[in-house]
Amino acid sequence: MLISLNWLKRGLDEITISDDELIRLIGARLVEVEDVYDQTKKYEKIYAVKVISAEPIDGTHLSLCKIDDGGVADKVERDKDGYIQVMCGAPNVHEGMYAVWIAPGAIVPSTFGTNEPFEIGMRKMLKKYDSYGMMAGADELDFGDDHTGIVELNPAEVHHPGECIFHLFLDLRDKILDIENKSLTHRPDTFGILGFRREVAGILGQKHISPDWLMDPEPNFDNDPSIKLDIKIDEELCPRYTAIVLEVKPDWPKKYLNNNDTLLARSGMRPIDPIVDLTNICMLGFGQPLHAFDYDKFVKVGGTNTPKIIVRAAKKDEKLTLLDGNEITMNPDDIVITSNDVPVALAGAMGGANTAIDKDTKRVILESATFSLYNLRKTQMAHGIFSEAITRFTKGQPTGQTLPVALRFTESAAPYLKPLALFDSQTEEPAPIKVNLSLSQINGLLGTNFSDEEVKQILENVEFSVKLGEHITVTVPFWRTDIHIPEDVIEEVGRLSGFDNIKPVLPLHATSDPNPMFGLKTQIRNHLAACGANEVLTYSFVHGDLMKKVGQNPDNSYKIVNSISPELQHIRQTIVPSLLDKTYGNIRAGHDKFALFEMNQVYPRTNGMDQDGVPENNYNLGFVYADAGNKTNYYTAKKYLENLLQALGVSYELKAFEAAKDETNAYYEPKRSATIYADNQVIGYIGEIKGHVVREFKLAVGTAAFELDLKLILEKAEGAMHKDFRVSQYPSVSRDVTLTVPLETEYISLEKQIRGLFELRNYIYKLNCTSIYQADGAKTKNVSFHLDFANPNKTLEKDEINVIMAEVESIK
Amino acid sequence: MYMSTVAELKAELKKLNAEYAKIKDVPAEKRADFGKELNTKKQAIMQKIADAEAAAENDSVLPIDITAPCDINAKQPEFLTADFGSKHPLMTELDRVISIYQSMGFDIMESRQLDDEFHMFDSLNFAKGHPARDGYDTFRTEEGFIPPAHTSTMQHRVLKTYKHKLDEGSAIAVAVPGRVYRNEDVDVTHEHTFYQCEGVYVSRTCTLGNMLGILREFFEKYYGQKLNIKTQPGYFPFTEPSLEFLIEKPKVLGGKGGDWLEMLGCGMIHPNVLKMAGIDPNEYQGFAWGGGIDRLVMLRYGLGDVRYFESAKLDFLKEFTC
Repeated sequence: MLISLNWLKRGLDEITISDDELIRLIGARLVEVEDVYDQTKKYEKIYAVKVISAEPIDGTHLSLCKIDDGGVADKVERDKDGYIQVMCGAPNVHEGMYAVWIAPGAIVPSTFGTNEPFEIGMRKMLKKYDSYGMMAGADELDFGDDHTGIVELNPAEVHHPGECIFHLFLDLRDKILDIENKSLTHRPDTFGILGFRREVAGILGQKHISPDWLMDPEPNFDNDPSIKLDIKIDEELCPRYTAIVLEVKPDWPKKYLNNNDTLLARSGMRPIDPIVDLTNICMLGFGQPLHAFDYDKFVKVGGTNTPKIIVRAAKKDEKLTLLDGNEITMNPDDIVITSNDVPVALAGAMGGANTAIDKDTKRVILESATFSLYNLRKTQMAHGIFSEAITRFTKGQPTGQTLPVALRFTESAAPYLKPLALFDSQTEEPAPIKVNLSLSQINGLLGTNFSDEEVKQILENVEFSVKLGEHITVTVPFWRTDIHIPEDVIEEVGRLSGFDNIKPVLPLHATSDPNPMFGLKTQIRNHLAACGANEVLTYSFVHGDLMKKVGQNPDNSYKIVNSISPELQHIRQTIVPSLLDKTYGNIRAGHDKFALFEMNQVYPRTNGMDQDGVPENNYNLGFVYADAGNKTNYYTAKKYLENLLQALGVSYELKAFEAAKDETNAYYEPKRSATIYADNQVIGYIGEIKGHVVREFKLAVGTAAFELDLKLILEKAEGAMHKDFRVSQYPSVSRDVTLTVPLETEYISLEKQIRGLFELRNYIYKLNCTSIYQADGAKTKNVSFHLDFANPNKTLEKDEINVIMAEVESIK
Repeated sequence: MYMSTVAELKAELKKLNAEYAKIKDVPAEKRADFGKELNTKKQAIMQKIADAEAAAENDSVLPIDITAPCDINAKQPEFLTADFGSKHPLMTELDRVISIYQSMGFDIMESRQLDDEFHMFDSLNFAKGHPARDGYDTFRTEEGFIPPAHTSTMQHRVLKTYKHKLDEGSAIAVAVPGRVYRNEDVDVTHEHTFYQCEGVYVSRTCTLGNMLGILREFFEKYYGQKLNIKTQPGYFPFTEPSLEFLIEKPKVLGGKGGDWLEMLGCGMIHPNVLKMAGIDPNEYQGFAWGGGIDRLVMLRYGLGDVRYFESAKLDFLKEFTC
């Protein structure tokens, strides 16, 4: 929303602070000001001039003009009478008129503030005429799109030739505020200058007094009994509908460039015709959109002599051709204005072509109404209509303003329209809302020290009425549809007086408890990164095809119905597939050997619901190891896994791979993968990725991965702090041993047996497998260990060493 | 069981393909059935080929000893070098944010990544069908679940989970980090997936002044310097009053005074939100806030493109090696 600062200031007491400070206060206490467009120099050196003569030049569309600028311009040559010569191509230029002249050295306003500001100078035209400056059209002045002629000023409004045009209208040396609408979603009253100005008064500590026409609307005309119009509304959809029938006067006053044209322009709109312009001025000024129908067409469309406005929900697939010629198909969320049940307008959005005003219109119906913001929001989305009017309607305009604004329009349209009759769906104003609260409630919530008199003044400045007594009783003005409870009133007090005046104070409270899952994730992150792995984040949403590629069942995923693209349609079940998907890109970028890991929540559908009735999640760690130069990466992944689990204090066991019933682990090659157990519970899987899966992802055979369930890890890691810590005070011995065993013997059985021998004796020991060797064609393998061990109670004797080594060597 | 070789099956398929040519000899009214029958046969053979190929591949896969530390006749596996490793900058930042909140006495509760209409909107005092709901551009699942668009989706749970603290005479003070989602197209400054951190505070006597105190303290710890703060009025259905919180751009970010950064939205918790969680708003009051983490990281490192975060590109991540 664009707001003219000068329009805003009109009617306020004198403001002693600078514009910058005022804008800062608006930002701090009402709404974010996204931008300020400084137009204070936009109309410099642009003057009201009298056209002394205008001689058409034969064979051209041009006229040679002499203008009287009152002698204000420099950089010009003047004739003996002091007039300036300027060429003008407009058909409406004529002797005696008052026009707007852009003097040499001025910037053409429509190019002001753009990348290419255009400065006017002297031009030689038709090779012989000096032409100084430029006679301006509405488009060049940025007051409209009209390029059919130059603008004409009302001679009665020009004080003398050469008057700067910014004096002719509400001061054109203006600043335009670009307001972020979003934070005023709940404040329909601020979508008109009047309401916005009321807030600014409150912010400045000025008392705002709304005009009588708003507070106490009274028509100054009697209803013509021959004009008939019934109004039937559905109050849910249309809380109030006010209509005035007016007659079009035969002779309209001549159109001069006027103040409203400039106000529309400053608000980002454009003049169209006097009636539409006045409805727009009312909307911008008072926040109430208005619409006009051709009364006689309206009656005819309804096909009866007792015309009836019926406001109702549109029927499914009901059609309406709008003013812009487009035929729309409505749905039951749309509200439709009908003439005796025949659609004539899409409420809040656009009128129908069948009741459009044209040059033959004799009588009009002015509509001033409010509609359900919920429905209009849907209309806006369904039909893609984002007009200034619907922007206001979707904030929920107060019902109390439909009548006063309609009457206000009628008064200002008096030169063009004569009111005949007023109709209103509401005959009595509802009682205002009252809110009771206490001073301690206000100060207790804000952390302030207001007196009740201060509170009263702050609120009364913006026209709440406040009664002090046992309670503070606040009567809410009709336009504040957002105020219902004490907290709403407290917000007003804090906001208008400035939240920034509240002293920040730290409260005292107890210490916090650690969050074990966060602690675990931080530990894992630090550990894996220190081992050279790279933490990544990937989307929670994946393509159904990605799941099929890895053998997961897309039906086991929650499916997004309004996803941005098919790539983001399913909520993932595990993390490894996302990592596989990101592996090739890194290989292509020149990384030949790397490890990716991610910790995140996943939501396999097979998990079912938690106690809140929402999908149960898993916290997973996914890990992928890629090394194109190595066909067996299982053991590297395993090294990462085991090192991590040991660091976390989790006792685990790797057992033969088992396919999960829900197919979440379908991408592991069963012959080269393992199920990870802790306390006989599956905590994850590790393995190399199946051949057809790595091909799908363009990866090397042997790419390995693991995935762990971190909720289970957290359970199993408990007690890790009580690990036995033993150091022998006696020297330890080192021995290397190689066991020759059948090929199919599992390594772990050897390791377990060696450990058993040491543990039986309560020795302190370390065990490292140094190599596993198979000679060409042999049916056996040699497994070599390096052993360090010590007796915690005494120095080991040679005999003892020989005995235990003999036992180790006999292991099969 | 006899299993045909892939070669045999392919020969069979070729024969079958030749059958299609005969369709022109079939009477017009029987062509459809003829074609259907051939297609069925063809699909069966193709499935057999796929199975046979998979079986052949399976046979070629050699089992490994899953318990061994290394492969037979292979070197012992090694870790990548430490200077290769990196933590994701968003996670590093989140850890930092959390540790500051913890030092300020806040408990931590991670936000969910799939939630429902009740937690996302109803429990936060959004009227049914209110246009404010549209402003969040939420994704939805077929069942109507919502990948949350803000960490405020946890407020109701936080209030219920920590309500006992109030009964014990203490305060609810909880920070809620989490991943959130908005249905918008991705560009340099927009991501549909990002991270936020919520704060919730409830006690008998806490004030808006306390809220400003806590927020200033957090950012002063975060940036390691004294900061000027200011607010702007905001609108959220779940807080009343509602504010936007700004800090003056800190020196470490090149601030020279006069530039302001919008850090988060905040406000006093709406009485309806407390009531719905079983907390009496006549006895207790509170405040809440929520802000983005991605932006903190972008400001810290001068990153111009938000799309790096979820790209999993090593070239990006290696800028953050340990």
